Amino acid sequence: MYVRHLSLTNYRNYGRLELDLSPGSTLLYGSNAQGKTNLLEAIYYLATTRSPHAEQEQQLLNWDADDPTQPIVVGRLTASVVAQGEERQLEIRLIKEQKLGQSSFRREALINRRKVRLMDFLGNLRVVLFLPEDIQLVTGTPSQRRRYLDITLCQVDAIYCQALSQYNKLLEQRNALLRQLAEGQSSKELLPIYDEKLVHWGSLIFARRALFCQEMGREAQRIHYESLTDGVESIRLHYLPRLLGNGQRRNGVAEPLAELGSWLQMGGIDQEAIRTRFTRELQTAVPQDIARGVSSVGPHRDDWLLEVNGRHLGHYGSRGQQRSAILSLKMAEIQWMTQVTQETPVLLLDEVVAELDAQRRSLLLYYVKQAAQALLTATDPGMFTADFLRQATSLAVQNGRVLTSSDPIS
Amino acid sequence: MAQNVLPRTVQRLIDTFARLPGIGPKSASRLTFYLLRDKDNLALDLAAALQEMKANTRLCPVCFNITEEEPCLICRDEGRDATLLCVVEEPLDVVAIERSRAYNGRYHVLHGAISPVEGIGPEDLKVAELVRRVQQGNFREIILATNPTLEGESTSLYLQRRLMHEKVKITRLARGLPVGGDLEYTDEITLSRALEGRQEL
Ligand SMILES: Nc1ncnc2c1ncn2[C@@H]1O[C@H](COP(=O)(O)OP(=O)(O)O)[C@@H](O)[C@H]1O
Ligand SMILES: [Mg+2]
Ligand SMILES: [Zn+2]
Repeated sequence: MYVRHLSLTNYRNYGRLELDLSPGSTLLYGSNAQGKTNLLEAIYYLATTRSPHAEQEQQLLNWDADDPTQPIVVGRLTASVVAQGEERQLEIRLIKEQKLGQSSFRREALINRRKVRLMDFLGNLRVVLFLPEDIQLVTGTPSQRRRYLDITLCQVDAIYCQALSQYNKLLEQRNALLRQLAEGQSSKELLPIYDEKLVHWGSLIFARRALFCQEMGREAQRIHYESLTDGVESIRLHYLPRLLGNGQRRNGVAEPLAELGSWLQMGGIDQEAIRTRFTRELQTAVPQDIARGVSSVGPHRDDWLLEVNGRHLGHYGSRGQQRSAILSLKMAEIQWMTQVTQETPVLLLDEVVAELDAQRRSLLLYYVKQAAQALLTATDPGMFTADFLRQATSLAVQNGRVLTSSDPIS
Repeated sequence: MAQNVLPRTVQRLIDTFARLPGIGPKSASRLTFYLLRDKDNLALDLAAALQEMKANTRLCPVCFNITEEEPCLICRDEGRDATLLCVVEEPLDVVAIERSRAYNGRYHVLHGAISPVEGIGPEDLKVAELVRRVQQGNFREIILATNPTLEGESTSLYLQRRLMHEKVKITRLARGLPVGGDLEYTDEITLSRALEGRQEL
């Protein structure tokens, strides 16, 4: 699949952009702070409805257009996406309204100009994004790692996405109920009602994450061992499902969780077995959950980790090893998505080529050439080989504008 | 700047309109000035209608729908099947189901759905009244017709548990309804299909 046209209005530093894109590789180059990352972010946002950067979605609105005296400010992202011979127009509107001195923010998603639920919007454009910050998947927090699982899975698995949305709503209700129970304000009769559904959707999330980690881990190991380190390094991806309450924590909780992860990955584990186990753990944790006002068991507290040659990459890996492992993981993501959907995702590579050595760079560019479309950014196009540059379309990005070859470069 | 330019009474009406859902300061001003200039007694008619509505409506002591009579017209109607009871969240849901013409039994209006996040529990709804009504009445079937939202579904599950030991068949509207949708906005055909295809729980 590829993006044929991108149009942005009041988005980041783009007041207005109409940009035709071609299949194959496109290199976006320009000095810092011109809008290269913002452009990749826009395409990523249309694919995932999330930003890899902004803490608040409102930050995506162009700040010159974001005038508090205006009753309404609208930012608009539109992409014409060609997939399996058909073209579809995807649009997200960011809407900020002022009313009674209060500002409110909402989003609308449209496919071919018809409003749809965000959940149904996902899956029409699939991307794999490479960022220098990807290393945080090793060094960062569990919530960053869960976010990675969710965003990747939601792009290809509509049922997972629905499960996640239902689960999160139920969890919010359950936590509110726990706090009321702690204050003696509600009856315990309500808890099983939320737990029954929490277990239903949560078990589905556990199962799909386990399978994803298994498939991704296998692919990442193949790439890492065979192509990236010439048989020197093995990597393993461990899924750590929070299918245990804190009560049973053994020293270093990762070990029993990794065992549970392997249990979930065993062939023949059915949803029923997961549900039974999840139900039991939830019930055991109830007194503690009431005391603390939060739910301690469930996929909302999952984590995963990478091991290199049997050692925790975050604890023992050098910076270089961490970079390599993440690169293998991201390349595995391309492979995984291509296999599942029978179509290459759009690749978005932000400044990542610069930091790679020759071997890694040529492997990554191999994947880039395989993809129907890849967008790469760089401050200096000179780091690409003449051969690559001949095949790629080069576009200069300057202060919120993209200059095509017919535009004069000032 | 804008202070004290308008007479206090006019400003008061604007502010009052603006408290209504879906009405911003601009529409509030527009409505107020429309009423101010109007020559057809619209303002007085409106005032009278509001006053009459507040004075003459109450909740039916049997089904808790909004009514002017006690009990309400539906509860009084002898032509209706008194052994069928349909439980809904809001009075407008009764209107929607009546419009479908697929139902000829009685109703029970809960006035909301359970939602711990919003601090709404069973005791804030007409749940105890429902249980008492089922225990004392002579129903053969209770149809749980809460909205297919998370809150509506949870409420329905809770009611199922509360009514489990009563000797009565409990059914739920069939899943013809769009998930996440409101009963009130469901078209009549969908709704009457959902009523016909209701499932025993
Ligand atoms: N909401 C916004 N409105 C306008 N400009 C923005 C907004 N958010 C970020 N910017 C600007 O965008 C520029 C950064 O663009 P970016 O795409 O990160 O540059 P680069 O070309 O280095 O990747 C900065 O100059 C920043 O001030
Ligand atoms: Mg950048
Ligand atoms: Zn009545």
